[in-house]
Amino acid sequence: MSTEFKGRREDRRLITGTGRYTADWNQPGQLYAVFLRSDRAHARILSVDTAAASAIPGVHAIMTGDDADIAAMKNPPSNVTWEGRGGMKMNQPDRPVMARGKVLYVGEPVAMVVAQSAHAAQDAAEAIVVDYEDLPAVIDLEEALAPGAPQLHQSVPGNLPFDYEWGDPARVAEIFSAAAHVVRLKHVDQRLVGNPMEPKAFLAVYDATRDIYDVWSSTQGMTMMKGSLAATTGVPPQKIRVHAQDVGGGFGIRSNAYPEYCAVFAAARRTGKPVKWVATRAECFVSDWHGRDFVMSGEMAFDRDGRILAARYDWIAAMGAYCSPTGANVHTLTPATTSVGTYAMAAVHGRIRCALTNTTSVTAYRGAGRPDIAYMVERLVDEAALQLGIDPIELRRKNFISKDAFPYTTPNKVTYDSGDYAGMLEDVIKVSDWSGFEKRRSESKARGKLRGIGLAVFVEPSGGGRGTDPNQAMIKFGSSGNIELFSIAGPTGQGHETVFPEIVGRELGIDPSLITARIGDPDGPPLTGLGTIGSRSMIHHGSASMLAAREVIRKGMDHAARELEVAAQDVEYAQGNYRIKGTDRAISLVNLAKKLGGVAGVHPLDAGAGMAHTSAFPGGAHVAEVEIDPATGVTEVLKYYAVDDCGNIVNHTLLEGQMHGGIMQGAGQVFGEHGMYDKESGQLLTGSFMDYFMPKAGLLRDIYLGDHPMPSPTNPLGVKGAGEAGTTGALPTLMNAILNALRPAGVTHLDMPATPSRVWEALRKAR
Amino acid sequence: MAKIEMTVNGKKVSHEVEDRTLLANFLRDQLGLTGTHIGCDTSQCGCCTVHVDGLAVKSCSMVVGQANGAEVLTIEGLANGETLHPVQQAFSECHALQCGFCTPGMIMAVSGLLKDNPAPNDEEIIQGLEGNLCRCTGYINIIKAVKHAAVAMK
Repeated sequence: MSTEFKGRREDRRLITGTGRYTADWNQPGQLYAVFLRSDRAHARILSVDTAAASAIPGVHAIMTGDDADIAAMKNPPSNVTWEGRGGMKMNQPDRPVMARGKVLYVGEPVAMVVAQSAHAAQDAAEAIVVDYEDLPAVIDLEEALAPGAPQLHQSVPGNLPFDYEWGDPARVAEIFSAAAHVVRLKHVDQRLVGNPMEPKAFLAVYDATRDIYDVWSSTQGMTMMKGSLAATTGVPPQKIRVHAQDVGGGFGIRSNAYPEYCAVFAAARRTGKPVKWVATRAECFVSDWHGRDFVMSGEMAFDRDGRILAARYDWIAAMGAYCSPTGANVHTLTPATTSVGTYAMAAVHGRIRCALTNTTSVTAYRGAGRPDIAYMVERLVDEAALQLGIDPIELRRKNFISKDAFPYTTPNKVTYDSGDYAGMLEDVIKVSDWSGFEKRRSESKARGKLRGIGLAVFVEPSGGGRGTDPNQAMIKFGSSGNIELFSIAGPTGQGHETVFPEIVGRELGIDPSLITARIGDPDGPPLTGLGTIGSRSMIHHGSASMLAAREVIRKGMDHAARELEVAAQDVEYAQGNYRIKGTDRAISLVNLAKKLGGVAGVHPLDAGAGMAHTSAFPGGAHVAEVEIDPATGVTEVLKYYAVDDCGNIVNHTLLEGQMHGGIMQGAGQVFGEHGMYDKESGQLLTGSFMDYFMPKAGLLRDIYLGDHPMPSPTNPLGVKGAGEAGTTGALPTLMNAILNALRPAGVTHLDMPATPSRVWEALRKAR
Repeated sequence: MAKIEMTVNGKKVSHEVEDRTLLANFLRDQLGLTGTHIGCDTSQCGCCTVHVDGLAVKSCSMVVGQANGAEVLTIEGLANGETLHPVQQAFSECHALQCGFCTPGMIMAVSGLLKDNPAPNDEEIIQGLEGNLCRCTGYINIIKAVKHAAVAMK
């Protein structure tokens, strides 16, 4: 759709240092909050002595979990509203905003100091003395569910808040017992820390005279932030105004109000002054909700000819010490959704047990269940190819859901909208010169290197969030005929300010530069819908913008007919003009809007539209080629090829950006990211950028992106979402490539992250 | 408390601050130059990169007293009025930024790199970006932007 890319509208302020992220906002007379956090994984709080801290000059307030205002706050309900195994209901433990009586993980907030300066607040927090009595902690997922494990919450027996089961267990058991061949794998899908570059921050202003709260926060959507703040604090959402001009990344972990935000919110009311809190990176590591963290077993049954008959999964998913609002949802239902992958099979059955451990909560992180199931499925298929002695390309071709089978309903009753898995595979093996690989492998071998090639073909559900309210956008006209587009999408770098006006401009047939985008404006109309999660904003907010433009055209028809002094049925709209059919008499939309004027901020052409919640199924076929130095265990990614079906493409450059970032975050998990806890002490061992592997420039140098769009019938734009596809494809693709390289050296199993030391160790053991 | 004087973006400034104040906080809190971002507390992320006496440095790694009397250039002072610096221009044109939080530090680091090495190859660019983290772009378009800027600055 877009032609030459000349930069985004957002860019000017961001490249000149005049963007404004949460920490960049200040209010006159503001106070500063600092949190004291638990330094142990599981302990009873015997006492909190704040006497010395209170005496530090400049300290206005010290609040703990027992403070009446804080204690009155409620844990928002889980969004798991469906039943699990045997009719089990989600049993979410109560989460206090700050610890009450007990701490359950390292980093849990214990007290908040509010002071005149950030330095004074820091000094006072350090002067608080907490007396703890240590309790036994449990970190390991399998140990947490075992009999006799330390129990985190009296209300959650067995540390099992939810036990999810899907598919047809009896049928799958029958198929497996009669199958010619069964492939089994067990993998660890390690915990990650999301690490958006902007540390989380919150600024709250309470205006007692109006009883209104103005809050600034890094969020993936103002309605989600407002809703979760309201649910926790009990303040009605209409009294909360959320400001989020620029947000420094989200990746799933910035959807809801963190407990600290709610405490700062209360402090603004208590002190009657604006209160600002900016987390350090060290705090983000222990208090931003984490991602992934599964122990996953899977098996696949095959007939004699290599046809997939059924799949079965048995996973444990980490929840942390408390459940985040979405953790149990995205770590059960989401992987279940595409648990047959891209393959036609008769039946599927899975079980995912959610486990509480003395760790930071887990929530959605880029992919949120999608990369996890794609990793399991595509590892199983590769393993099967090896065991059955069938070429991995052939095995996949034999089993794909056919291009003609869409809409396709899987055995677990999920309807895939459209797709062409075989076509994408053909594209990617061609561009990657798959057939020439053995020659390249020999060349590497001659240099003492291990070369590998890996493949994954995947599908994932996009559209995330099961909100019942439509996702709305509104177009409003000013008296000069100027056009404003209002959206609540909640961008965190996707470029909505640029691309949504492009959509409206295309629909209206006018230059997008005439359209001002007002995204997440607290003074805008009260729009409903969710924010930017689950690769959903183009499907929902993009489509809503398009539908609003269509509504403008429809509304203008009668007015244009009156202006042109003809009947409405004689008027047609094209390229920004209402025209009398078959003549050159016309009035432009802009001129019509100018003539019509508006009264009290309402213009006759103002129009809103909503896009109901839907789900599409983007997919891709990715290939990676790697080279490993057996002497050091260092892996180099020589080339990464991604052919993707994201549905129709609206702005190619922005799509490329999403794919690059997504693939790199997948590579981060494959090559080093690991939120690693010490199993004895429960301390986060990778709690800073010195210890936690972050992808740096050069980790992937060369990414080929190919398009294979199969428009989605689920939304008027025909798009499918692109935010997570790169990550979903990267995990299985890169790990299959690494194992392909290591197999000739005798290595048959390797878990992520494939760090040099782990690869080297695996090679040494295989010798 | 210490009295600090320096030249920031061509203007002389003078402030009385606590000794433990970091240069990054001084720029943000005393001078309101919030384009210098703070993304970590261990000098890894590079979001706070500025130029001190012509050298690209992480402003979180200096106590403000160490920059007393220095010439400091921040992202706000990089453009020449309305005319963007070629590195700023290249970042926008190559879509080398998404959320934009790392961008000011990246641009300051890259403009420092290109001063030292006007025509870096891929290895040198990757090495030059070693101290700057970006979570959105995968660095692919950042590397492209560095090359574009290098050509534009010839």
